[in-house]
Amino acid sequence: MTTRSTTDHTTWAHTPERSNMLMLRIMTWISLRLGRRIARGVLHLIASYFVLFSPGSRRASRNYLQRALDRPVRWTDMYRHFFTFAATIHDRVYLVNRRFDLFDFEVHGEDTLRRLIADGNGVFLMGAHLGSFEVIRALGRKDTDLRVAMVMHEDNAQKINAMLAAINPEAVQDIIGLGHIDSMLQVRERLDEGCVVGMLADRTPGNDTLYPVNILGARANLPIGPFRMAALLQRPVVFMTGLYLGGNRYAIHFDTLADFSDVPRGQRDAALQTAICRYAALLDQYCRKTPYNWFNFFDFWQTAPTTMPPKSS
Amino acid sequence: MQDNHKPPVSSTAELQHEVAELMIECLNLEVAADQISADAPLYGEGLGLDSIDVLEVALMVSKRYGLQLRADSADNQHIFSSLRSLADYIATQRTR
Repeated sequence: MTTRSTTDHTTWAHTPERSNMLMLRIMTWISLRLGRRIARGVLHLIASYFVLFSPGSRRASRNYLQRALDRPVRWTDMYRHFFTFAATIHDRVYLVNRRFDLFDFEVHGEDTLRRLIADGNGVFLMGAHLGSFEVIRALGRKDTDLRVAMVMHEDNAQKINAMLAAINPEAVQDIIGLGHIDSMLQVRERLDEGCVVGMLADRTPGNDTLYPVNILGARANLPIGPFRMAALLQRPVVFMTGLYLGGNRYAIHFDTLADFSDVPRGQRDAALQTAICRYAALLDQYCRKTPYNWFNFFDFWQTAPTTMPPKSS
Repeated sequence: MQDNHKPPVSSTAELQHEVAELMIECLNLEVAADQISADAPLYGEGLGLDSIDVLEVALMVSKRYGLQLRADSADNQHIFSSLRSLADYIATQRTR
């Protein structure tokens, strides 16, 4: 048998997504029925609710902000943290409805992505629960050829597609559900078609081998699955985040993360480790730059048992 | 589908052993080839492979035996269900 050290990620997989989906459901209803200004008012109620009545989320927020801000955390910081979370989820409703006119996007590093897409061999786009990944839709307004297939856990895929269908039936996303025997063959097929394949690589939906990294001065564990996939399929990987800057402003960043295109098999593990460390460094960088955009409301720096990747020789 | 009209060819114990050896080498599995039961599930319970491992095996057998594995094939569940079914599929479809 393989010796894979795994951890029980039940809380990781469920708690944040559930609150996420509930909030999206409430906000969709309000946004579509009552308009953006009133909806924005409701965001304050939601942020207050979390600060007052969700001790678990509050603890996670304080714990994270202490690391990111490097100073004592005030109530207003936590409030702003929850408000930012609520605001980005709320804006999904408008992004999905292609109301890009409502927003002011500054885009950094788009050429990097465009160049790799033009090569036609497909690109991995790795994000995190950091800012908004949905703002990628704003790039598609310029050319309709930018096709992004998202890889995610099957349960979340179903919920999200149901939600998207409710917001805008034309916006249903191309989603590849994990957990099928041929999930990865589907990923490969999309890449071969020249698609962008997106995923959020900071959480694992199930049992995945974890790799220890340093984020905000402390050890955290990242799943290696997304990086194994990219290494195996020998594709370039671009990091993406859409950071919420307040008001209607977002800063979209694309950063070169790795390119596994020409990595021979013997060097794959080393390249994989370099990539995952670079990913951690980018998370660190953007958390410090815009601290309120981190949306992992659980103890990300938990002391989980970790191993080195089992396949390193 | 065209595949279904071809007469099924059963794999030999020799081919099963060869595929097991390839899988072990490709995934760095810590078992001997004859310890992999021909009928135990490869995916999830059993040998404990995940979908990325399955992809790695798929890429490896495609290259070694010159066959095409497609994502839209309804047979994938069956093909990767065990060492025997994978070897049977290779025996039927191999071009080299």
